[in-house]
Amino acid sequence: MALLLLLLLPALGAGLLPLLPERQVLLRRVALVTALLQLIIGLTQLGQSPTELHQVWLPRIGLALDLGLDGLSAPLAVLIALIVLVTVLASPADQARPRLFFSLLLATDVGLMGAVLARNALLFLLAYELVLIPTTLLLAVWGGPRRAQAAIQYVMYGAASGLALLGGVLALGWLNGDGFSFAFADLAAMQLPTGSSHWVFALLVLSFGLKLPVVPLHGWQPLAYGQASSPVAILLSGGVSILGGYGLLRFAIGFMPDEWILWSPWIAGVGALTAAYGALNAIVQSDIRRLVAYGSLGHMGLLVVALAAATPLSLQGVVAQLLAHGLISALLFHLVGLIEAKTGSIQIPELAGLLNPYRGLPFTLGLFLLALMASAGIPGLAGFVPEFLMFEASWTPFPVATLLCLIASGFTAVYAVRVFNRVGFGRLDNDRVDYPVTVWSERFPAVLLAALVLVGGLWPGLLVGWSESTTTALALRREPFTALVAIAPSASPRQLPS
Amino acid sequence: MTPPTATAPEAVRQPLIPPSTHRYAEVIHRLEAGGSMLPDTPENLMQIIGIYKAYAVPMDFYWRDLLYIAERVFLDPLPAFKYFPTQEYLDLPNSYQGEQSKLRIWRGGEKAHPELLEFMAKGETTAMPKLLHHLWHDRINMEFAEACMDAMFWHQGMGGRFYDYLECDAYKANADRAIKAYFKGNPLMLGLYALFPEMFLEQVRKMSYYANLGLFWEVMAPVFFEMSDIYDEGGFSGVPAAMDFLVNGIFAVAGRPIYHHVYIGGECLEIIPKSEGFTWLYEAALPYVEAVFYRTAPFRGTKSYNAQAGQVPSEQADFHYGILYADVFPVGSAGIPPTLLMQDMLHFLPPYLTELYAQHKRGEGDILNQLGVTFQRSMYNVTSAVIQALRCALLYPLDDTDPEHLMANRKFFEAQMDRFIRPEARLSQIQTQDYR
Repeated sequence: MALLLLLLLPALGAGLLPLLPERQVLLRRVALVTALLQLIIGLTQLGQSPTELHQVWLPRIGLALDLGLDGLSAPLAVLIALIVLVTVLASPADQARPRLFFSLLLATDVGLMGAVLARNALLFLLAYELVLIPTTLLLAVWGGPRRAQAAIQYVMYGAASGLALLGGVLALGWLNGDGFSFAFADLAAMQLPTGSSHWVFALLVLSFGLKLPVVPLHGWQPLAYGQASSPVAILLSGGVSILGGYGLLRFAIGFMPDEWILWSPWIAGVGALTAAYGALNAIVQSDIRRLVAYGSLGHMGLLVVALAAATPLSLQGVVAQLLAHGLISALLFHLVGLIEAKTGSIQIPELAGLLNPYRGLPFTLGLFLLALMASAGIPGLAGFVPEFLMFEASWTPFPVATLLCLIASGFTAVYAVRVFNRVGFGRLDNDRVDYPVTVWSERFPAVLLAALVLVGGLWPGLLVGWSESTTTALALRREPFTALVAIAPSASPRQLPS
Repeated sequence: MTPPTATAPEAVRQPLIPPSTHRYAEVIHRLEAGGSMLPDTPENLMQIIGIYKAYAVPMDFYWRDLLYIAERVFLDPLPAFKYFPTQEYLDLPNSYQGEQSKLRIWRGGEKAHPELLEFMAKGETTAMPKLLHHLWHDRINMEFAEACMDAMFWHQGMGGRFYDYLECDAYKANADRAIKAYFKGNPLMLGLYALFPEMFLEQVRKMSYYANLGLFWEVMAPVFFEMSDIYDEGGFSGVPAAMDFLVNGIFAVAGRPIYHHVYIGGECLEIIPKSEGFTWLYEAALPYVEAVFYRTAPFRGTKSYNAQAGQVPSEQADFHYGILYADVFPVGSAGIPPTLLMQDMLHFLPPYLTELYAQHKRGEGDILNQLGVTFQRSMYNVTSAVIQALRCALLYPLDDTDPEHLMANRKFFEAQMDRFIRPEARLSQIQTQDYR
């Protein structure tokens, strides 16, 4: 029932909203209640035994309403619900065209939730494709001045990702020697012919690499994040991008472990390149939103290296990173949006002294500092735990890539200090400093996210506890330092030739 | 003595000298017409008078406590209670207010201002022992007054004979007598004095500056109170009229003696006797304006200065950290807005200023900023009064018909304005009402 509700609630909301009158408060409340209920239901599922729901839908094409929650999808479902809630809260009080906005938002929610709940590859594909349409519109209608270009790029890359996934999923289903099935359980047990499996694997990696994204498939991301309105940027970075990581974990590692092990050195190389490219680009950005976007890209690079390592610890780090990155990037994008709303600019050279307690935005900047510190992996904040796990676990299989990621992580501190020093300190310009103060309704989403970032840092179990058994089962390599991770007795990582 | 007026005759004259080409030509022409550096607008008038009043109430405490420290606390090695003047000092009759006054400037009573006494009793919180008020920081902040005294003491050499006197044998002999009397029966302190006499002498010099500043502010408080009362009665026609009142006040009390007495064991010891002839204008007012309005020091927390990088001038005379140069938003996000003085003035703002601030910028949220800018405006007006007074004393009347005399006045004004050419000066900002 909970599984159905998680999917149906946003679907109902998305269907109901277009029928309601164009009244800001009413529409916002409906979206808010929907997201809140979804979050509450999601929270009740955390830590529960894996549950599944099977409902035949179109058996002739292998499509079934197979839904399930396990240690991997449950925390991500909660994260999606939270991000949607924050997106509603972070939308401006005078949101333009609220009926369309909130409808599209909840439609995106349906897609995201459907993707992480799906236990059928075709159902996953449908949900995955569903996400593309409303997010493209959200980007095209409410974005910045170059939103049309950003939306076109986004939809083209998204379509390419969808096509690759379509090819990969169909190939998985059709090439399965034991019969025609898209059920995850069947796909996990299948054996593809060696020649075909390379292509299928390439399609899946291409698809999820485009979504995550990784270098050189990232072309859409800086422009999309840079041009998206803040709520949409929160949704894209905190919600949509996790599909890439989730897809790699579930499909590429889960269904094609041999291929993953075979290609993992290359994948790790791409991850390290992404991490370095993202961090170095973030350093030279003058637009704060683009800086955060490149920072996000860099963190995805770390995640890919850890995925390539595929040890129990690294995969735990990956899930933790998906959660932490979702929280931190959502917080950063919301705060950047607040800065833009209050000062009229997010250009670093135009801003200074915003920490000023009397005329600046001290509350916003204070939380911005916290978010930057979390992003830089400062201990005690949510960003530290996944980074530590990923570095620790990736070092043995991929020392060079991990070293590059460590250096890139150091660059995170460089751009964090640079942007905060320029924007927070320095002298406020008396001619421009007529900034309105932030009100509590604007602060609340940031406070909520900041509190979670803090709790996640102080209580790492919030980030890693839920996924331990699932990620251990998915792991492809054993760690030489198993003492660092408590492997459940029932879990037996697959032994593969090194 | 009939105080000279700074205002030019109303009749419009043909200019006898060509217009100034100075960067601040507009301000110079205004000064030549008997005006102030601060433009004559109703809002400026309201702001400066309101802040004078808010400044004068804590100033009524400052001067009393400064004299208390100079005359009674004196060389106490642990002056933990120096900010607690005795009732005698709170009741000390101001020489320029009340019935007993020979030169009555303010029409009020001679004792401390009623608003001050009310605040001292209750503060922002509630009535409680004054030690608790002090520890809770719910009090008048004497630290500001001491910072002003320190600026005067440190800069020195700003005209007058006061500092030189502190080095003369007569002063040292008086100080020696006072030190020995104060520490009579205290062999430890007397022993230390024998070992380090200069250290003790320097402390006495500092006390003399406490007295100097206390006597200076004893005059200014009633001047500002009276200006506030006149404004409330609709008495000032504009900023120049307010400045004229200051100029006249300066001349009226210019000869007030500056001295330093200390009371030890019921005996009054004259460290700087009145007979030395130090006067209020030359030994207190002008050094005060120079030290506090222009120079002061790069106080900790105001801005990060790097002396090695040449950001702090090697000559004290080149210092420019005073209120006339202070930045509302200095690097480091400190500076004039949140200083202790602003906090002190906040308690005594007249309602019309509170209403004004509520209408601009962040209202109550940044009232200390707006208050600080108002204070800056008001001090430009006070400095204008000092400049006009100096011009009256040293040069020629504004309505002089001799072009050479007018040119001498012009050069004097231009020389004064040269001090505001440096980028830190806020003279150009205060020309508009948008600067808040």
